[in-house]
Amino acid sequence: MNQTWTQRLLLLVALLLAALYLFPLYWMYVTSLKTGSEIFATPPGLAPSNPQWGVFGYVWELRGMGRFLWNSVVIASGTMVLTAVLGTGCAYVLARYRNFWIDVALFLVLMLQVLPASLMITPIFVGFAQLGLLNHPQLAVVLAITAKAMPFFVVLVRASFMSVPTELEEAALVDGNSRAGAFWSIVLPLARNGILVSAILIFMQAFGEFVYSKSMIPAVELQPASVGLNAFMGPNTTEWNNIMAYATIYVTPILAAFVILQRRIVAGLTSGALK
Amino acid sequence: MNRLLSSLRDGKGFDIVLVAVPLLFLIALSGLPLIYNVVMSFQEVDMFSLGTFARPWVGFKNYVAVFSAPETWPILRNTAVFVVCSIAGQFVLGFGLALFFTQNFPGASYIRGLFLASWVMPGLVVGAIWNWILAGDFGVLNYVLKSIGIISDNIFWRSDTNWSLWAVIIANIWLGTAFNMILLAVGLAGIPRDLYEAAQLDGANGWQRFWTITLPMMRATIGAVISLGLIFTLQQFDLFAAITSGGPANSSNVAQYWAWEQSFRQYDFAKGSTISVVMIAVVMIASVIYVRSTRHEVRG
Amino acid sequence: MTIRFGLLGAVALATTSLLSLGSAMAQDEVTITIWSLDDANQPALNLAREFDELEPGIKVEYREIQFDDVVSEAMRAFATGQAPDIIAVDNPEHALFAARGAFLDITDRVANSDVIDPANYFPGPLNSVTWDGKLYGVPKATNTIALYYNKDLYAKAGITEPPKTWDELVEVSRQLNDPANNVYGLAFSAKASEEGTFQFLPWAQMGGGGYDNINAPGAVKALEVWKTIMDEKLASPDTLTRGQWDSTGTFNSGNAAQVISGPWELNRMLEEAQFDWGVALLPTETEGGARSSAMGDFNWAIFASTQHPDEAFKALEYFASQDDRLFPEFGQLPARSDVEIPETGVALKDAALQVFLEQLQYAQARGPHPEWPKISKAIQDAIQQALTGQATPQAALDQAAATIDGILGQ
Repeated sequence: MNQTWTQRLLLLVALLLAALYLFPLYWMYVTSLKTGSEIFATPPGLAPSNPQWGVFGYVWELRGMGRFLWNSVVIASGTMVLTAVLGTGCAYVLARYRNFWIDVALFLVLMLQVLPASLMITPIFVGFAQLGLLNHPQLAVVLAITAKAMPFFVVLVRASFMSVPTELEEAALVDGNSRAGAFWSIVLPLARNGILVSAILIFMQAFGEFVYSKSMIPAVELQPASVGLNAFMGPNTTEWNNIMAYATIYVTPILAAFVILQRRIVAGLTSGALK
Repeated sequence: MNRLLSSLRDGKGFDIVLVAVPLLFLIALSGLPLIYNVVMSFQEVDMFSLGTFARPWVGFKNYVAVFSAPETWPILRNTAVFVVCSIAGQFVLGFGLALFFTQNFPGASYIRGLFLASWVMPGLVVGAIWNWILAGDFGVLNYVLKSIGIISDNIFWRSDTNWSLWAVIIANIWLGTAFNMILLAVGLAGIPRDLYEAAQLDGANGWQRFWTITLPMMRATIGAVISLGLIFTLQQFDLFAAITSGGPANSSNVAQYWAWEQSFRQYDFAKGSTISVVMIAVVMIASVIYVRSTRHEVRG
Repeated sequence: MTIRFGLLGAVALATTSLLSLGSAMAQDEVTITIWSLDDANQPALNLAREFDELEPGIKVEYREIQFDDVVSEAMRAFATGQAPDIIAVDNPEHALFAARGAFLDITDRVANSDVIDPANYFPGPLNSVTWDGKLYGVPKATNTIALYYNKDLYAKAGITEPPKTWDELVEVSRQLNDPANNVYGLAFSAKASEEGTFQFLPWAQMGGGGYDNINAPGAVKALEVWKTIMDEKLASPDTLTRGQWDSTGTFNSGNAAQVISGPWELNRMLEEAQFDWGVALLPTETEGGARSSAMGDFNWAIFASTQHPDEAFKALEYFASQDDRLFPEFGQLPARSDVEIPETGVALKDAALQVFLEQLQYAQARGPHPEWPKISKAIQDAIQQALTGQATPQAALDQAAATIDGILGQ
C-alpha cells in the first residue's frame, strides 16, 4: 500500500514539474489561437477569448507545409545517417585508447564546432560555390549540417562507449574475432542506446536548422519547414499567430514521435541490457 | 596489399580509418571556415572581397579596435556571467530531474520525454514566447509573481539594465535543462544496479552512494555534457535577438550577439571575425581542460 | 530539269534552315533573376510573373528572401559572382552598394525612358537611389510614420483634437495615462536597431538637426522629450527593447492611447482594434514648425554584374508602369506624387491614408550614405544611453555626433 501511495505522489510531482516546464509550449498553442493583438493585451489571457481554429488550415495551405515538412525530413534524415555513419566509428576509437594522438583528435573534434552557423555560412557558401555543390542544394545543406553536428555526436557517443567494459571486447578478440568483428557484434550493440538517443537528438537539431538552408537553397520547392517559418517575418509586420500555428504543426508530431521512441530506448537501458 | 587489408579489418589500420575519415571531413568543412575567420580578423574586408583570401593585411589593427572599444569589457563580463550561470542552472536542474525520473512510477518515461519540447521548438518560437513571458506589462511571469504576492510592481525584465541579462539567462536555463536531463539520464541508466545494492548492503546511505558511485561512474557523461553545454551556450543567439537585442544599452550584450551584430548589421566582417576569434580562444582553453580531464575517466 | 529542281530544293532547304536557325536564335531565352522579400500577397512576385508572361524572350526567376538577410545574401552572392540581376533593397542600404559601384548606373537609361521620370517621385525616395548625382535604382514603394490615436479614450478624457506640438503631446499623454487600468499614454519604439533610428530621426529633423547634425539643440530637446515620456512612465519601459509592430499591438489591445507607427499597421488595426481611432500628422517642435517624417520601404536596383542590363531595365520599367496598382491590390504606397490613391470605401482607412499621403511630402531619406549602418548605430547608442540614464541627452548626442563626424569625414 505504501508503495502505491509513494508512486502516486511521485507521479503527481512529475506532472507538476512537467506542467511547469512545458508552460512555454502551452503558450505556443494558445498564442496560435489568439488574434494578433490579443497577444499584447494586459493582463495576459491564459486562454484565447475567441479561438481562431481556422488558423491551422490557413497556415498549412498558405505555406504548402506538406512539401516543406517533407524537405525537412529528407534533410534531417540525411544528416542523421551521415553523422551516425561517420561519427560512431570515430567515437569508438576515441574511447578505446588514451594517448597523445587521441587527445589531439578529441581536442580537434571539440574545437571544430566552436563557431556558430551564422559565421560559418560565408566561407562554406564561398567554398561550395566554387566546387559547384550549390547545384545540389539539399546535399550541400546535409554536408554542412553534418559537419556542425558531428562533433556533438562524437563526444556524446564516446561517453556511451566508455561505459562498455574492455573485458568484453577482449574476450571477443580472444575468441577469434577480428577487430572489426568485435566492434560490430559486441561493442556496438552494447552502446546502441546511447547511439540511438544521440542520433535522434541530431535528427531534431537538423530538423530545426535554418541558417544554412536559408542561404544555400534558393528554390522554394526544396526548402525545409524552418525556412518557411522565417518567411512570416516581414520588414515591419510579424504574423505571430501564424508563426505559432506553423510551429505547432511542426513541433507536435516530432515531440510525439520522440516521446514514444525515447521510452522504448530508455526502457531497454533500465532492463539491464549490459548484463 | 594483403597486410594492408587485414590491418584495416583487424589492426591499426582499422582504428586509423575510423578516425581519419570523419576528421578529414570535419577539417575540410569546419576547419577551413575556422581558418577563414581567423585570417579575416587580420585583414580589411568588404563586400567585394568576401570570396577570396587575398585581402589587405592589417595585422592587429582589428584586435586593437575591439579591445579599445568601451563596450568590450562589459560585454565580455556579461558573456562570462551568462555562460557560468546558464551552465550551472541547466546542469543542476537537469541532473535533479534525471535523478528524479530514475525512480519507478507509472508514466515516468513518457513524462520525461515530454521535456524535450524545448529542444524541438524552433529558436525563433522559443525566443518569441520568452519575450512575451518576460514582457513587463503583459508578461505571464509578472502576472504570476504579482498574484502570488512576491512582487508588487512589474519588473521590466527585458528593459531594465539590471535585469536584462538575467532575463536571457532564465530563458536559456529553461532551454538547456532538457538536453542536460536526457543525456544525464542515459548516463545514469548505464550504471549497473548491483553496485548500488552492494553499497547499500555495506551500509552506505543515499548521499554516500551518490558521491562514491554515481558521480565517478558518470564522469565521462558529465564531462561531455558540460563541455558541449559550454559550446552551445557560447553559440546561443536566438534568445538574445528575440528578447533583448543585447540591450538596453548593451546591458545584456554578449560576445556572440556582438559578433553577429558587427558582421550582419554593421557589415564590418573583419570585426565580427575578430570577436569570434576571441571566443575561439576561450573555447580552446575549455577544450584543453576537458581533454585533460578525460584522463581520469573510468572505462566500463 | 533535275538540276533546276535540285537547285530549287537546295535553296528551299537552305532558306528553311536559315529561318529555323533564325527563329531558334530568337527563342534563345534570356533569364533574369529577381530577388525581393515580397511574397504571393505582395507586388514583386506577381509583377515578376506578369512580366515573364508579357515578354516571350525573357524568362524571370524569382527568389523570395527575408528582410534580415537581404544585404548579407546580396553581398555573399556578389562576392562569388552569383548576384541576381535585380534586387529590392531597403532604402537606407541602397547607398552601401551604389557608392561602391555594385549597382548599375541607370541615369542615361532613365533619361531615355518614357515610363520612368524622376520628376514623378517624392524627393525622399528619389534621394535614396541617388549617389554622386547619378541614379542607381528606382523607388519601389514608400511608407512613413504618423500618430495614431484612440478616439474613444480621447472622448473619455475630454480631448478634442490630436496634439500639434511636442509639449502638447506630452500633456495629452499625461492626461491619458492610466496605470490603474493598464493604459499607457503613448507607445513607440526606441529599440537598439534601425527601428529606433527610424522613429527618432523625424523628431531630430523637426528640431533642426539631422544625421549629420545629431546634436543640434532641437535634436537634444527631442531626446529630452523622449526621456520625460519614459521617466514619467507615459510609455512602457519595454519601449527600449520592443519594435513598432509589437508596440502597436499594445495600442490595438487597448493598453496604449496613442502610438507612432506607419501604414503597414492599417489592416491589422482595422481587424482587431475594438474602438474608434484616427491618424494625425506627427507633432512639431513648435506651433507651425518644420515638419519631417521617416521614410521607409524599398528600392529596385540592378546589379552591375548583370549580363542582361537591357532586359533588367525593361523589367524595372514594367514595375514602374504598374505603380497605380500598388495600393488598390497590395496596400502599399507608391513613391510617386503623380499616382492617385483611390478610395477603399473603408472610412477609417481612407482618412488615415490622407494623413499619410500628406506626411509623405515631408519624409526624408536616411542618409543616403554608404556607412549608414554605422551612423545609425551611433544614434541608437545615444538613444539607449540617454533613456537608461547612463548619460544626459546632450552628452549622449554629443558623443554620437563625434562618432558620426568621424565616419562622414572619411
